[in-house]
Amino acid sequence: MDLLTNLQLAFAVTFQANNLFFCFLGVLIGTLIGVLPGIGPVATISLLLPSTFHITPVSAIIMLAGIYYGAMYGGSTTSILVNIPGEAASVVTCLDGYQMARQGRAGPALGIAAFGSFIAGTLAVIIIMLIAPPLAKFALKFGPPEYFTLMFLGLAVLTYLASGSMLKALMMACVGIFLGTIGTDTISGLERFTYRSYTLMDGLGLVPVIMGLFGIAEVLLNIEQSIKREIYKTKLSNLLPTLQDWKDSIMAIIRGTFIGFFLGILPGGGAVIASFGAYAVEKRFSKHPEKFGSGAIEGVASPESANNAASQGAFIPLLTLGIPANVVMAILLGALMIHGIKPGPLLMKHHPNLFWGVLGSMYVGNVMLLILNLPLIGIWVKILKIPYPILFPLILLFCLIGSYSLNNNVMEILIMILFGIVGYLMKKFEYEGAPLILAFVLSPLLENALRQSLIMSHGSFAIFLTRPISLVFFIVSILLLVSPLIPGLKKRPKGGDIV
Amino acid sequence: MKKYDQMSSLVWLLFALYICLESIRLPLGSWRDPGAGFLPLGSGIFLGFLSIVSYLQAHLSRSEDVRDSWYSKERWKNLILVLAALLAYAIFLEILGFLLGTFLLLIFLFRGIEPQRWAVAIGGSALASFLSYAVFELWLRTQLPKGILGL
Repeated sequence: MDLLTNLQLAFAVTFQANNLFFCFLGVLIGTLIGVLPGIGPVATISLLLPSTFHITPVSAIIMLAGIYYGAMYGGSTTSILVNIPGEAASVVTCLDGYQMARQGRAGPALGIAAFGSFIAGTLAVIIIMLIAPPLAKFALKFGPPEYFTLMFLGLAVLTYLASGSMLKALMMACVGIFLGTIGTDTISGLERFTYRSYTLMDGLGLVPVIMGLFGIAEVLLNIEQSIKREIYKTKLSNLLPTLQDWKDSIMAIIRGTFIGFFLGILPGGGAVIASFGAYAVEKRFSKHPEKFGSGAIEGVASPESANNAASQGAFIPLLTLGIPANVVMAILLGALMIHGIKPGPLLMKHHPNLFWGVLGSMYVGNVMLLILNLPLIGIWVKILKIPYPILFPLILLFCLIGSYSLNNNVMEILIMILFGIVGYLMKKFEYEGAPLILAFVLSPLLENALRQSLIMSHGSFAIFLTRPISLVFFIVSILLLVSPLIPGLKKRPKGGDIV
Repeated sequence: MKKYDQMSSLVWLLFALYICLESIRLPLGSWRDPGAGFLPLGSGIFLGFLSIVSYLQAHLSRSEDVRDSWYSKERWKNLILVLAALLAYAIFLEILGFLLGTFLLLIFLFRGIEPQRWAVAIGGSALASFLSYAVFELWLRTQLPKGILGL
């Protein structure tokens, strides 16, 4: 009965005209940036974050969420037609999607990517509605030690799943924690590392740091090499997959949905890991694994379903525990806090409109995306033809406006440029940005939880080991961190293994 | 990557030293009541330790460098030009104002990196500046700098 009431509330909020408009705007922008290589959901959401200050928190989160899962739809178009992933979660779709396009089957590839994403998105919303309320209730048992060990687990998972060196990922997490401490200490009121700068007193802004590390750095890397995109010229008339295509891919879609959803919930997981994981599982399950990489439709259906389910599953830890599972959720956490809303177990009780409204909008957003991505595919293909030398000044312009308009402060632009250079060097020397950003966002929460735990235990670290939930989180984190040192467990799952 | 890993590890080690030195100037508190410098110091020590491990790992690694340079020798000027343009934009934004500053920046980016036709550069810059001004200043009411034009 509760579920029905909640569903009713979800759709009542979603179908309010302004929320419907921002949901559409979100998925439209999401598809656009998903299609365009070189600008991803992270940079776009941070860029549009300041503009959401003028709308209600519900509309703001509905729009920002729409950008995230919309990008998952759009990313497949570029992977299939150009063999360049529109965004990171569609990397693996290139393998079979582009091969299908070369065989004249771009239509069914795009079709199954959109239908798979739709089915996955719909199932994911239903699962969220079912498991979020009990999880939020369970999370009420969490105290500072449980929160600290859970965040520690999130960082451990992210470093464990890092596509490069785990050591480097851990180093970046340390840098992120340090950067998060810059500003005024919330407990003592002391300034830390601010050097009397007014801009730094409130801490480093999330938007300029993310725009620099992901937006500016990406542009710098791209203009260093000449990018020529060749769109595979093929007929796009037949977008509906055949009955045989459906038979081949329906189980892949369902498996991809569940794998993606649960990897999405996992702190530190996310759509990228989910798409690689689902592809690997599908290849293992397949009776014809040799066909993978040469145009198997399951190789498109599975990762595309997984990345969509993951992008929606990632909302669970944010909305029920107040802990972001990945970088995009970290920005959404920042957005909620800017709007004066503290995500966590009580969100559902204190802000039911926001909680259920966002979930309802995801379902409606998925329907909009299906319409945007199938009948209107021709428009996205045309957008793909915009050459990079014309695109990159516009990306830079958005980054500049985004970082400036947050506080109307030129210093934020300078901080963004600085992090752009740092991000460029990090990419060159193979250090990942994701652990840094997640640690940066979690740092203030982590510090508060750690200090409160130690005050509670009179300085004893045993508090993390004597409480059952925190003990479980702690043991799992340590196992993940030391696993590369244990013989036989040396091989970590990571993206590079599959491609 | 051997040489580059060693180089980058040393840079992070220096950064860790900076964090530690600055953190100990803050109150560290006690185990019972950690102070403002507690977590930054912890992150600095851990980063320093990991940097040393990373350096040693790279030092002991047998793999040799495949790349001869970490930057593109042909196109590095593009990076400098873009960064200089962004810096100049930040410095002169409040004097020139959003519209004029953005228009000039975009013309430079359209022409300076991979030169587009003048018509594309001027038309594109004007269109992008006005559209972004309309969206952010007029619609979303973001207060963009007015500058000498007073717009």
